[in-house]
Amino acid sequence: MWPFILRRVLAGLVVLFIASFCLYVLVSLSGDPLAQLKANPHVSPRTIEAARHQMHLDEPLLQRYWTWFTGFLHGDFGTSTTGQRVGPQIWVRLGVTAKLVIPTVIIAAIVAVLLGIWSAVKQYSVTDHTSTALAYLFYSSPVFVIALVLKNFLAVDVNKTLGHTIFYTVGENTPGVTGTWNVIRDDAAHTALPVIALVLVTYAAWSRYQRAAMLDVLNADYIRLARAKGLSRRRVLLVHAARNALIPVTTVIALDFAVILGGTVITEIVFGWEGMGRFLYEGLTGPVSPDVNAVQAWLMITATAVVAFNIIADILYAVLDPRIRLG
Amino acid sequence: MRSSRLVKITGTTAMSAAALLVVAACGAGSSNPPPSSGPVKSGGSITFALDEDVAGWNVLQANDNEFVLQEILDQTWPQTFVIHPDLKPHLNTAIATSAKVTKKSPQTVVYKLNPKATWSDGTPINADDYIYNWKAQSGNPKYKDVGGKAFLPASTSGYSQIKSVTGSNGGKTVTVVFSQPYSDWQSLFSPMIPAHIASKVGFNSGFQEFNAAAKVSGGPYMLQSYSKGEDVVEVPNPHYWESKPKLDKITYRFITNDDQQPPAVQNNEVNIVNPALVSTTFYQSVKNIPNFNVQVLPGLEFQHIDFNESNPYLAKQSIRQAIAYGTDRQQMVDRIVAPLGVKNPQPLQNRIWMPTQPQFQDTSGGLGDFDPSKAKQLLESSGMTMGSDGYFQPNFGPEKGKDLTLSISTTSGVPVRSQIEQLFQASMKSIGIKINIQNYDANKLFGTVGPKGEFDMIEFAWVQSPYPSGNQSIYCSYTNANLCGSNWDHYANPQVDKLFTQALTNIDTSQAARQYNQIDSMLWKDMATLPLFQQPQLFGWSSNYGNIIPNTSSTGIPWNANQWGVSAQ
Repeated sequence: MWPFILRRVLAGLVVLFIASFCLYVLVSLSGDPLAQLKANPHVSPRTIEAARHQMHLDEPLLQRYWTWFTGFLHGDFGTSTTGQRVGPQIWVRLGVTAKLVIPTVIIAAIVAVLLGIWSAVKQYSVTDHTSTALAYLFYSSPVFVIALVLKNFLAVDVNKTLGHTIFYTVGENTPGVTGTWNVIRDDAAHTALPVIALVLVTYAAWSRYQRAAMLDVLNADYIRLARAKGLSRRRVLLVHAARNALIPVTTVIALDFAVILGGTVITEIVFGWEGMGRFLYEGLTGPVSPDVNAVQAWLMITATAVVAFNIIADILYAVLDPRIRLG
Repeated sequence: MRSSRLVKITGTTAMSAAALLVVAACGAGSSNPPPSSGPVKSGGSITFALDEDVAGWNVLQANDNEFVLQEILDQTWPQTFVIHPDLKPHLNTAIATSAKVTKKSPQTVVYKLNPKATWSDGTPINADDYIYNWKAQSGNPKYKDVGGKAFLPASTSGYSQIKSVTGSNGGKTVTVVFSQPYSDWQSLFSPMIPAHIASKVGFNSGFQEFNAAAKVSGGPYMLQSYSKGEDVVEVPNPHYWESKPKLDKITYRFITNDDQQPPAVQNNEVNIVNPALVSTTFYQSVKNIPNFNVQVLPGLEFQHIDFNESNPYLAKQSIRQAIAYGTDRQQMVDRIVAPLGVKNPQPLQNRIWMPTQPQFQDTSGGLGDFDPSKAKQLLESSGMTMGSDGYFQPNFGPEKGKDLTLSISTTSGVPVRSQIEQLFQASMKSIGIKINIQNYDANKLFGTVGPKGEFDMIEFAWVQSPYPSGNQSIYCSYTNANLCGSNWDHYANPQVDKLFTQALTNIDTSQAARQYNQIDSMLWKDMATLPLFQQPQLFGWSSNYGNIIPNTSSTGIPWNANQWGVSAQ
């Protein structure tokens, strides 16, 4: 297995290098960080030139990339166009997104697997039809629509009915809250709606994968053989069928997790969370953008996550299916 | 998404403007009850939704110069003069007990500083602050920031005309001598960066992170905490020397998507809103929320169409005038402004003064009236022939014999601007001009397309401060690239240049106002640009707070946040 992992890591590093170069060039050429200054009649041409020099925009593109690259090799993500260190920011943003994504993935995976298996076992039953209809409804609904419905028809009404705030509609927390229990309660109240919104759009697709995989397995010869040998229905479903049906879904979840970690831009904007998605969005569209160093930092984190989770998916595949050997 | 708002006159979208008293006189609309005032009690907190995070903490630095930051710093960085809702500068006696022009030639202003005024770390607010703020914003390369770097000021207006700033009386008297007169002298030193901090940590980069430097206050409140993209919290400055503010805490909550603000208001998570570019959806969402005051006021910001005179057809004054006569501006205000609750909105007839300012005059001379038949006559007399397809065809220039086709550009994804373009396109079709819409993201429009003159016509908003001097770089002759860098239209008129010089150096403000109106009258005759309408600003706040008074100037609604409080009733 180790030679396999080593080969994949090396291939991943090459991909990262090529992606970083391409993105650096594309982002640098996509706009002018001095646009805001140029649009302000009060800013003198001398100031604009000084800003150009201080942002290193007067240096050749390749030289700028090389400066960034050598800094990155030393663990330095550089400075944003507005003068803040990118490194500390990106880790904070990753933490914010993780706070949103980890509960989402855990809840969505459990719901999707259970519903998918249940739907397959009860194929064409009322439960199956209902589950299918709901999955398609949530899968086809944009996350901002679900978010607005949750805000306007759940949060506001529930809070009014109860007379105090159970669900918050904006932000990650309330500033100034102290005490462990209060902080946990406040965080939960802020996290509930965005997590519900993300779970609904995420579980929908996964439950369909799970249902299809389970149906495939249920129709396989070895399941019929297991039943013919007299194994209990429960043992056949859980040990023989479900374990094999988890293999494709596990891969999908592992790969999706890396992508979601890169940012749930719309959810973060709608709920006012400052995570990875907004970090990228602001890097590309903020007042002093494009912010190449910010975008590069986002890329390196998310691309690394994608590579890592690809490898993890392969390993999980082997663990779940003894027939597969990595080498 | 909304675009950024800069503090002073800029090419991006919105900012606030307009005075309550003047608004009433102009018949502009407001919905719901008048501002809540009356007795307020001490204690409590308030949350104000801002639609943009800050880029740094030095609002005087070019990259940080955003309206949201000015709002946050209203109560922390000292301002010698504060713009009140009447859109006039008022002396802030907490900082200076007097500020007077003591000599006309050379113009000399003497500031007597409040002896009690100190920064929150105990350092007195004195002449050193005035000297540092002048040098950092003078644009003079002999003054350098920490590390020998050039200062990056957001503006050098006024400061570049100062010859010297000296202190006396233990630093509590400041004498400013100008090398040439400056009529907007009251705009200077408002706000001020703490010199004793900036000179150590740096003007350009020392305030980019939220650190001890950013927390130093010279006002009623001080910054307590900042969570990137989430919120900023201000608490009373314990060292403040005047009356203590009422509220224990002001939270500025960043809600960058304006559509998300109404649910937050309904859920009592936010108490004040002032979106960058109000939409009818937003207005409809908040106007019926119980116990929530909503006022829509004309801002100090206006939408306009610019003509690029490097285009051989738009170079002709008669064609520009024809386009103006053919544009149904009243239809635009009826469709765009009226649904926001503004009663009897009118097209804008002045580029330098807004109708909500006392200096405003209708300088259009009828040149902005909607008169399609006159537009067609002008096009014919300009060398155009009506084609069989209903479009004029020029008898000269690169498009000779083809339909007269011009493009209009603005920022993509901004509904108000798209609506303006579509109405303009329809108006032009009716007078025989074909319009292509070619939009760009804000960065490209203001970074490349505008400055490089890669457009035929361009639509966006100028945000005015009550001080008119910022208009010079927009309308003075483009041939003077250093001074007139914001003139993207290749417009040039030596008489306008001369009048600007006179107005800017005229310290008789009423005479200067007349000169600015003369300038605008010339701009109408030349049809340099076509002003469309004043952009409305929406202010909404929970009615259980008192003393909240909208301020449509570049100071913003927190101009008197030290008086805000929970109503005592």
